[in-house]
Amino acid sequence: VTANTSRRRFIGGALGAAGLVAAGGAGFSVARAAEPDEKSADPAAVPFYGAHQAGIATPAQDRLAFAAFDVTTPDRDKLQLLLAQWSAAGAQMARGLPIGAVESNPDSPPYDTGEALGLPPSRLTVTVGFGPALFDERFGLAAHRPAALTPLPALPGDELQPERSGGDLCVQACADDPQVAFHVIRNFARLARGTAVMRWSQLGFGRTSSTSTTQATPRNLMGFKDGTRNIKAESADEMNRFVWVGAETEQPWLKGGSYLVARRIRMLIESWDTDYLADQEKVFGRVKTSGAPLTGTHEFDTPDLTAKKDGAPVIDLNAHIRLAAPASNGGQMILRRGYSYTDGIDPRTGLLDAGLFFIAYQKDPRRQFVAIQRQLGRNDLLNEYIRHTGSALFAVPPGLRAAGDYYGKSLFG
Amino acid sequence: MPAISVRRAAFVVSAAAAVTTVLAACSGSDGGTASSSTGASKAAAARVATVTITSAKGCELDHTSFAAGGITFKIQNKDATAVSEVELLAGERILGEKENIAAGLGGEFAVKVDAGTYTLYCPGAATEKSTIKVTGTAAPVDNSVAGLLKAGTDGYKRYVDTQVGYLLTNTKKLDVALHGTNLAAAQDAYIAARPFYEKIEPVAESFVNGKQNLDADIDARANDVPASQWSGFHRIEKGLFQDKSLAGLAKWGDKLVADITTLQTKTNQLTYQAPDLANGAQGLLDEVAASKITGEEERYSHIDMVDMANNVEGSEQAFAQLEPAVQKIDPNLAATITAEFAALDKVIDKYRTTSNVSGYVLYTSLTDADRRSLAAAVKAVQEPLSRVAAKVANA
Repeated sequence: VTANTSRRRFIGGALGAAGLVAAGGAGFSVARAAEPDEKSADPAAVPFYGAHQAGIATPAQDRLAFAAFDVTTPDRDKLQLLLAQWSAAGAQMARGLPIGAVESNPDSPPYDTGEALGLPPSRLTVTVGFGPALFDERFGLAAHRPAALTPLPALPGDELQPERSGGDLCVQACADDPQVAFHVIRNFARLARGTAVMRWSQLGFGRTSSTSTTQATPRNLMGFKDGTRNIKAESADEMNRFVWVGAETEQPWLKGGSYLVARRIRMLIESWDTDYLADQEKVFGRVKTSGAPLTGTHEFDTPDLTAKKDGAPVIDLNAHIRLAAPASNGGQMILRRGYSYTDGIDPRTGLLDAGLFFIAYQKDPRRQFVAIQRQLGRNDLLNEYIRHTGSALFAVPPGLRAAGDYYGKSLFG
Repeated sequence: MPAISVRRAAFVVSAAAAVTTVLAACSGSDGGTASSSTGASKAAAARVATVTITSAKGCELDHTSFAAGGITFKIQNKDATAVSEVELLAGERILGEKENIAAGLGGEFAVKVDAGTYTLYCPGAATEKSTIKVTGTAAPVDNSVAGLLKAGTDGYKRYVDTQVGYLLTNTKKLDVALHGTNLAAAQDAYIAARPFYEKIEPVAESFVNGKQNLDADIDARANDVPASQWSGFHRIEKGLFQDKSLAGLAKWGDKLVADITTLQTKTNQLTYQAPDLANGAQGLLDEVAASKITGEEERYSHIDMVDMANNVEGSEQAFAQLEPAVQKIDPNLAATITAEFAALDKVIDKYRTTSNVSGYVLYTSLTDADRRSLAAAVKAVQEPLSRVAAKVANA
């Protein structure tokens, strides 16, 4: 028995509806979404089509809804259909439109779930990626797997939970309105029913990175400006050298794409909050309020890693900014695009379950994220206060050219 | 797929029906698909099929060819402990069935069939399926969408009436056991009665009228209703499986028989419209998703998998009645739903067992991974199924 009797009309319910002419066609929303993408006049709309997927170089929005999916069908055609439906739906939502009619046929569930109706596009970006497992034997894609798309190796400091890690597909939805971002994940999961199931998902309530020179550096939950030296979208040179997959790849379909590394990094907030200020600053290598390196006076001063005081390095040998600095990593950089998260309290301990949902884009995770994390994970003073609880790697295909193009189209040939 | 030709004239014209049919335009076709009794009466072919079920050979028939018209299946289960029912199927639709024929028991059921190919299905038998060929003058079949929908709603009417009949029979047996002294026998009787309610639950839910709520009377869980008003299956379940005592349960058994008798009176007067079947099918899957996968339904006996399997069967049967029409309206949708139901059945079948009397593993042995795979399979049916009501409402 249902606690509340089903509101779904059963006996006799269709009587009134029978006289109505079906409003709208029976066709699925994709048909509609595949209309040419008119340039939206709304300044809060980020163009969906382009050389690269939006949501990477786009100035980081305030909110994140992220989900990883496992493909459950063995049917390659169904997978393609899903990616095409996601593409069309993404194009609609980026323009602030529903993926299909909300009010159509009184006897049908609405095509779009409706919670974003009337909300502006809110700079929504939808970014889709493919996990290493998508290239196993199931869909005949093994020959298309880029060498760099290898599951991340075990890294120092890993305490990964399988149920928060991995996935065949991922969707990163970023917007300035959390409901607009969540609307994407919910409707994508719905479109996926029978084809893929959500493996894990994560909401991020505040951006921790600036990816544009127009943005101020936000603070992470430890109260520090982290990521001051992030790659900025305005630097085409750095984007090409570190973020976009280029001619170096052996997989032409991925050119113009990137690799997304996601790490759920739980902060041991209660412990951190009892650490004394000088130690907190020693851990990061920065002044807490201004964000300036301990060797400078302004946030954007370049840290002087050689500076010494009384014979000891001013920036500790294991300070976070030293180990993460390009100079300590053979010049390598990554584009960080993470968000603060909280998932309530840890039911076992009563402690806050909160931290950083770290997202980084790069052109080769082996030389970039993995190398940097090895460096950090081994020695970073910050390790005392963080735990990596989730991890995933995805290849993010290049942007969709126009309506009719879809994620991975060239991959399926 | 051959159209079902069995017709009980009474229900279509039932003056007491709460609902007039949407398909009034084709009401003249009531007799249109009546069985070819003329051809049948001339045929000297068998009218009775003897079905023998054995552990070694499964389900065996003495005849597999019949003339169109009435056929009676007489069933004897000699020693097949894994088999408890026999069904006659047209495609996936159940035309007639006999349940509760455990090893050592027998029974019979009768159907009227048109020319065509049918399957005698004995779930769990060494030989599960036998093909039956029916020949002779086929009754004129109305193959229009409206005609197919009419056949479907009529078929569903028969299905519900049959299940409610079994429900009443088995509830009476439960009541007898509750009046007795054998706790184990009463527990088994509870488990035997549950499936029939779970197959047709949305029909019972439709009889909510102000404070009168037959579904709640029959199937409320603790806390769904004030304690003083709690009666029905789950009140009895608590006594049998938690308190493990028959004390005081007889009065609840008597009331349950009375409530289900009322239910039967009401359902016998019902007619159905095509969207009812679609919404009912969906409602049953909602039941699975809302309270079976979470183990909230059978809190004391933990036979939630039994409920789940029967919710799904009821849903599948409702859709199967619409399938021939949906096939014409939107073949892709019909094929998708059929495939997703088959996939769901496969998942559920993994939990069949002979290690307890319910035939399924207990809810308490399911893992989170089990629940997730069940939920995903249910959702995979729900999404395409949700599009059926609109298709048939305006067909």
